[in-house]
Amino acid sequence: MVLGNYKTAVSARAADADILKCSQDGGIVTQLFTYALEEGIIDGAIVAAPGDEPWKPEPVVATTKAELLAARGTKYTISPNMMLIKEATRSYGLDKVGIVGTPCQMQALRKAQLYPMAMRKVPDKIALAIGIFCMENFPYMGLETIVEDHCQTKMESAVKMDIGKGKFSVYTERGALSQIPLAATHKYEQPGCHVCLDYVANLADVSTGSVGSPDGWSTVFVRTKKGEDVWSKAVNAGYFETKDIASVKPGLDLVTKLATGKIDKNKKTLEARATLGVNKGLRNPYI
Amino acid sequence: MSKVVEVSPTTRHEGHTKLVLKVNDDGIIERGDWLSITPVRGIEKLAIGKTMHQAPKISSRVCGICPIAHTLAGIEAMEGSIGCEIPDDAYLLRVILQCANRLHSHALHNILTLPDMYLPGTDVHINPFTAEEPVRSVALRIQKLREIGQTIGEIVGGEPIHPSNPRIGGMYKNISPRAKAKCYDLLKEGKDLAREHMEFMITVLKDWDARPTASVAAGYEVEKTEKFGFHDQGYMAVDPLYASTNLDAEPKWYPERWTEVRPWDWYMGEQEITLDDPNYPNHATTPAGGKAWPQMEACTAVPMYDGAPVEVGPRARLAIFRNYDRKGAMGLQIARQMEYMDCFYSAIEALDALDTSGSVIADEIPQGDGSLGWAANEAPRGADVHLAKVKDGRVQWYSLLVPTTWNFPVCSRALEGAPWQLAEVIVRAYDPCVSCATHMMVVDEEKKVVAQKLVQ
Ligand SMILES: Cc1cc2nc3c(=O)[nH]c(=O)nc-3n(C[C@H](O)[C@H](O)[C@H](O)COP(=O)(O)OP(=O)(O)OC[C@H]3O[C@@H](n4cnc5c(N)ncnc54)[C@H](O)[C@@H]3O)c2cc1C
Ligand code: SF4
Repeated sequence: MVLGNYKTAVSARAADADILKCSQDGGIVTQLFTYALEEGIIDGAIVAAPGDEPWKPEPVVATTKAELLAARGTKYTISPNMMLIKEATRSYGLDKVGIVGTPCQMQALRKAQLYPMAMRKVPDKIALAIGIFCMENFPYMGLETIVEDHCQTKMESAVKMDIGKGKFSVYTERGALSQIPLAATHKYEQPGCHVCLDYVANLADVSTGSVGSPDGWSTVFVRTKKGEDVWSKAVNAGYFETKDIASVKPGLDLVTKLATGKIDKNKKTLEARATLGVNKGLRNPYI
Repeated sequence: MSKVVEVSPTTRHEGHTKLVLKVNDDGIIERGDWLSITPVRGIEKLAIGKTMHQAPKISSRVCGICPIAHTLAGIEAMEGSIGCEIPDDAYLLRVILQCANRLHSHALHNILTLPDMYLPGTDVHINPFTAEEPVRSVALRIQKLREIGQTIGEIVGGEPIHPSNPRIGGMYKNISPRAKAKCYDLLKEGKDLAREHMEFMITVLKDWDARPTASVAAGYEVEKTEKFGFHDQGYMAVDPLYASTNLDAEPKWYPERWTEVRPWDWYMGEQEITLDDPNYPNHATTPAGGKAWPQMEACTAVPMYDGAPVEVGPRARLAIFRNYDRKGAMGLQIARQMEYMDCFYSAIEALDALDTSGSVIADEIPQGDGSLGWAANEAPRGADVHLAKVKDGRVQWYSLLVPTTWNFPVCSRALEGAPWQLAEVIVRAYDPCVSCATHMMVVDEEKKVVAQKLVQ
């Protein structure tokens, strides 16, 4: 169950070359939202748009393809997308809200739907939730230190950042690539990530990430009825190229391995919290 | 010999009140005291020292039916004190919010009123919860109207119950063009429903007025009296729809005309209950032998305008601004229905004028020097006057004169001459909101009410 419930798993990428130009991986998120927007399945989506400082995302309610495109790419720092979930149904006037987020953000979303504490009229307006895989995240200062000090790259020069194959990589405008071993980044992780037991966004309608598929492609889990409905329509309409996940390398084996690794490690952290003090422990939100 | 009968608690209105009624041998009220017995929460005292931004958000929590009135009156009183003018588009959003709130509130009140009324031409009381027609469609229509009001409140105000969008200096957010279109569609949809509904309600209310006998809900019938619910008090209203504040070029409310007395000076002294009725609908009246002491028990002050209690609310607005002259309990009820359409047309007009890309926050928000500011918001139930003094961004003094507080003594007078069994019908005509009314008094150790002498 480390990969959650899902109906199908595929390797896929967007058919729109424009989207792929700046997407992180297969452009699944941007392509699927674009399709849903065009079809009226959503009337806007909360995405992590560029903020005031380089690589510091700011959640926005995107209601056009251009706004979705502007938010492409992974920002390895916190983007509080759930912050806008209520506002999207208020001054933005949306009836069918799309949202992308890390596994923890998908959890927040589902919790708000089931236990809507001060979330009046929000639950029934969630139309499409796309989750992205997530091993850990960094506070902005942490990311800045990793990029500027460890990778010796100005934040402004970076055009892409990527975590994969045990490395943190920064690509620059001028074509340079700077890589450091992931081990060097551990101390900058946000501590809250160490109790997180979800790697592949188990609670999303559709979740996607890079692990398991070749470069430029994404691994996609289609999980819910809603997700299946949108995904199959989009695929049939030619919005995605897909491959059987069994036919790609490294495939689900690696995803399973990484997911298990994350969960096992973080479970230990949780257990340790119970007895952290002398005759007392720290809170465990899961019990 | 007059007798004393007590209905406690009263039902089908917001909050907790009771009626202490002195009646003659025919059961006609000679003197009636209608009083709040809702616990005092002391909002005005605890607001002192808080920021001007927080206090109106607290006073919003005075009431969940008309939180928009308290939020807006509170904020505008603070703005009045610091001298802050808000941008046009913020004002328009507030007007739309005001309309949305009045719409939902009046529709909600219909549900509370209808059980006293009859299906015209029959002797059947209307039960809004029945699955049978024609009442079912009426109930659904009321729900729809409320939903429209609350949805617009949600979009424009951020939240229909305790709106989050209004702030000192304007609003946090303008709305998107899509949101504007959505509000527009909702208003267009609701407008025709509301007209149909208003006509239905007025027919029902006039039918009640024309009957020789009536009962409270499904109780037993008693003979009605002429001039049911009449009183000789005046009216007070500052605007047909929205508000007036001290920043207006021509303010429509005058702090110097307002005084306040303690319930001690106005209500009856200790009474022994000498009449009871175990068959009174919903629950029996208080058993004979008990005691009532309105002077001591009343939880609200008695505000006066030009030295006398005044009626506020829909009829006061129509009487002052539209020459409306129907008196009595049904006169007030009918006036309320007549306000439906204005909620729609005013909101549509404001939406038309709204620039969704306009700024909604003042460029400069002064911090205040302790000057007196006030705002009178025409809440669904009448003028809701908030007065405040802000210095360096903090509330130095804050007072709320809410509609039902104004109406308590007037309604008490209007009870005179009515059969006591129908007293609640008069009370309900005022659409009382007692949590609103009971926000302020201070009670000392001996349970003596310590009233507050306010503006110097
Ligand atoms: C902190 C973090 C850690 C990740 N870790 C892994 C991992 O370990 N393994 C793996 O396979 N994949 C991981 N991913 C996911 C991966 O990097 C891609 O985001 C994902 O594959 C989607 O790519 P795409 O081409 O389909 O999306 P695109 O079309 O490029 O769109 C990406 C979408 O993600 C949104 N987004 C970007 N940054 C954030 C953020 N910080 N918070 C919320 N939303 C954001 C953007 O707004 C955009 O809508 C991680 C992502 C993040 C944000
Ligand atoms: S590791 Fe978990 S808690 Fe941390 S950002 Fe990712 S999903 Fe959220």
